[in-house]
Amino acid sequence: MSPSSFRNEPLLDFSLHQERERFQRALDEVRAQAAAQQLRAAPLLQGEKKGEGTAHQVRNPSLHSEILGTVQYATSEQADETITSLAAAQEEWRAVGFARRAEIIHQVAVLMRAKREELAALMVLEAGKPWGEADADVCEAIDFCEYYALLAKEMDAPKALMPFLNGEQNVLSYAPKGVAVVISPWNFPLAIACGMTVAALVCGNPTVLKPAEQTSLIAAAFGAILLEAGVLPNAFTLLPGVGEEIGAQLVANPATSLICFTGSRAVGLQILQQASSLTPEQRHFKRVILELGGKNAIIIDDDADFDDAVKGVLYSAFGFAGQKCSACSRVIVVKEAYDRFLDRLTKAAGDLIVGPAHEPATYVGPLIDEESQQRVLQAIEKAKGDLTITLSSPPPTGGSFVSPTIFRDVPDTHELWREELFAPVLCVAPADTFDDALRLANDSAYALTGGVFSRSPSHLAQAREQFAVGNLYLNRSITGAIVGRQPFGGFRLSGVGMKAGGPDYLLQFVEGRTVTENTMRKGFTPELA
Amino acid sequence: MNRKRLEEEILHFGSGIFQQVQQERPSAFNTAFWSGKVMEWSMQFQSFKTDMFRLVDVLPALQSSRAIASHVSEYLAESAKEIHDLASWGVNIPPHSLRAKAASFAVKRGVSQMAKQFIAGETPKGALKELKRLRKAGLAFTVDLLGEYCLSEKEAIEYFERYREALEVFGREVPKWGCAEPLIPSHPGEKTPVCVSVKLSALYSQCSSLNFAKSVSVLSERLAELVRIAADNTIQIYCDAEDTEHNPIIYQVFREVFGSAEFRSYPYPGIVLQAYAKDSFQQTEQMINFAKERGAPIAVRLVKGAYWDAETVSASQKGWENPLFEEKYLSDASFERISELLLDNVEHCLPAFGSHNIRSLSHACMYAEQRGIGKDEFELQMLYGMAEPIAKAFERSDYLVRLYVPLGELIPGMGYLVRRLLENTSNESFLRHTFFDEREVNHLLQAPAPHSGK
Repeated sequence: MSPSSFRNEPLLDFSLHQERERFQRALDEVRAQAAAQQLRAAPLLQGEKKGEGTAHQVRNPSLHSEILGTVQYATSEQADETITSLAAAQEEWRAVGFARRAEIIHQVAVLMRAKREELAALMVLEAGKPWGEADADVCEAIDFCEYYALLAKEMDAPKALMPFLNGEQNVLSYAPKGVAVVISPWNFPLAIACGMTVAALVCGNPTVLKPAEQTSLIAAAFGAILLEAGVLPNAFTLLPGVGEEIGAQLVANPATSLICFTGSRAVGLQILQQASSLTPEQRHFKRVILELGGKNAIIIDDDADFDDAVKGVLYSAFGFAGQKCSACSRVIVVKEAYDRFLDRLTKAAGDLIVGPAHEPATYVGPLIDEESQQRVLQAIEKAKGDLTITLSSPPPTGGSFVSPTIFRDVPDTHELWREELFAPVLCVAPADTFDDALRLANDSAYALTGGVFSRSPSHLAQAREQFAVGNLYLNRSITGAIVGRQPFGGFRLSGVGMKAGGPDYLLQFVEGRTVTENTMRKGFTPELA
Repeated sequence: MNRKRLEEEILHFGSGIFQQVQQERPSAFNTAFWSGKVMEWSMQFQSFKTDMFRLVDVLPALQSSRAIASHVSEYLAESAKEIHDLASWGVNIPPHSLRAKAASFAVKRGVSQMAKQFIAGETPKGALKELKRLRKAGLAFTVDLLGEYCLSEKEAIEYFERYREALEVFGREVPKWGCAEPLIPSHPGEKTPVCVSVKLSALYSQCSSLNFAKSVSVLSERLAELVRIAADNTIQIYCDAEDTEHNPIIYQVFREVFGSAEFRSYPYPGIVLQAYAKDSFQQTEQMINFAKERGAPIAVRLVKGAYWDAETVSASQKGWENPLFEEKYLSDASFERISELLLDNVEHCLPAFGSHNIRSLSHACMYAEQRGIGKDEFELQMLYGMAEPIAKAFERSDYLVRLYVPLGELIPGMGYLVRRLLENTSNESFLRHTFFDEREVNHLLQAPAPHSGK
């Protein structure tokens, strides 16, 4: 059960000019700080910034010529030192207790709320998130804090089980697992980093956050907020760095108990394999929580409302340039509707505004970096050889842009139909019947999100039963899951673990302990005495 | 202002209107017809109402009789247990059968006929006959073009061309009619017999509040283009109001276009204000100030507002304060306050009171009378097909009544039809209370107050 007092943080209302102006001012301020070279991320150990390595430049993906700041990556020694010091802090952080930790995490939310425009502006610039997306990212981060804090409060008191039984007392309680390693992605650079980190912390696990190297600045801002809110400096470490190096080292450390990762399937699998090897001194199995990719499909039935369906597909496929694990990359249209739908969709997608994320009007911003852009452009070029492209236009210059791209009649054997690309690239294919459409949608290694636009009650019922995804959306877009309302996560190769933002999530971060006492002594029990 | 006397006059005048309208039911409520039955059942059975409106919504998208038949069964099987007449609609008949084919044809015809009560034609040319009939009956009109969402610039251009066509067709044809002569010669709303209402968001596919500056500039350009055509053909233009996200853009476009040197003398450009919005009084003051700055009067249609459900749901889902009044009587009271404000500023604006609520309209009429404002200084507006008896009753009392007449094809028309059906059958509907429930006249004519609608 979700805590009944929980409410989601409201998004900004950009129809009010005051809110647009306030956001613009925050952007101007962050850019001024960047120009004055004030933005810097560095390893944060024992509450202190400890930059030793070389400084890497952070660039605005919308405008490569703009340098936002610098990041100093953690060294290999710092990674080892971190796990050791976190392990040493384990008892102290546990003793703080669920109730007080929940208060601290609630305070994290309070601090983020006070800086919401500034944090969002930093994401606009560092991650290339359009205004609305960046604002939603902050709201989700706040939601995670408030939601998990409320859940943690409920976990505080040991629960007496079946108390009506006499002569026996059964109590279930929860204890922290141990040192947690959180490896976060760049696409929700605040929300996901925050969600995983505060979940680990609120449950009493000393935690190291290794953020994606592309979004180290926002992670540094978040790290500072954690300490300001009252997280013990020895219970939290921020280690910017390259995943393959620092990340792998943190995972492999025998003192690590818990690994929480959101990112690619390949890396997720490596983590799972690496975490399963046991060193001689190790007295625990590592628990691994993975949120991986998706090859998410939306089905358009022949009786769908095209107005809603086109809008829903546009947002699901091209919002944040398709760089969400929940994004739609396959559309399956029941054949009677195929040509009409594809025509409306293609024209609508072709008119979306592609441009810098810092321009408020932008619908499709840049990809995260040039490497991503090149990878995607190459994949498009390659697919053009064997597929029919119906939408493609030259992207703006100056940043790592890719314009919305649509391929039609894509066979289900094609790699573009099966592999996640993480880009504003959409495959569309017809299906003979609704049954076929469902079969095509389900034929995937992933099972994260999915959607159906239909006005047939029986087809909607069938989709509820048979559409094999973790988050199914009927007659709406398939991205933007909201904490507490749409607990998020998939199965198959989309992940391992409970749904983020859902009532079970925190149970993965603790050990359950049951204590049973026989209260009967020589035939005497307190209850009956 | 003597409030007590005003209330007495509203009661007296309103009762007279009621007396006239109770002779006849609007066709929408006539249970001898298919649509009247649908309405009656909708008011009796809540679950039928939901299922039926969903069926109406999907119907135009269905390409085959088999698809219609299976949707009819899926949506109405439950209701058919209570409403036995539904058997003739093909509920629970195998969708491939001949009987199902005949039944689905009948359902589609029934819904089309229902739509035709509220939609005057598919195209401007196709609507001429009906518009002429209205004018001959003493009613003015403003035309609205129904359509799907505008999702691409191709669709925006198609909309633009439809408006251009409407302006040209009506501008050319209507003045030829014998009934094109002013219904009330001294009335500023009758300087021209042609009036078109423009839905601005249909003219730019990327219209959004985050794209505010460009939305305003693109729409101002496109509206100006239409106003040039309208000016050449002596046509009045209203800019329709939409939802809370779009209204600030619409109001800004209105100011930029009609405040510009080119269109400063364009007569009576119309804007729409929604009394259900909490900030509607201030919005009205701002519009009046704009008219003063402009130096030439504007037309202001005051309505209660048509997006209440969608906006209320959206605000609650987003955790925002509802921008609209939550209770019906507050919207009604707001309507009356703004009516008075508009009439107090009648030298700067041509007020057009858009409502089917006899109390709300009687209030405006009697307030005007007490202030010594002539019947040729404001007008009343109602929706086509919703309440002909009310429109006729006011017309007979020598008020200028203008009907808002939608044109368009069936698919986009269905969304409009569903909104009209909802409006007629809602528990708070004045028309329902007037024509179906036949509530006490004195009760319906009371000033807006808590529970007055209950």
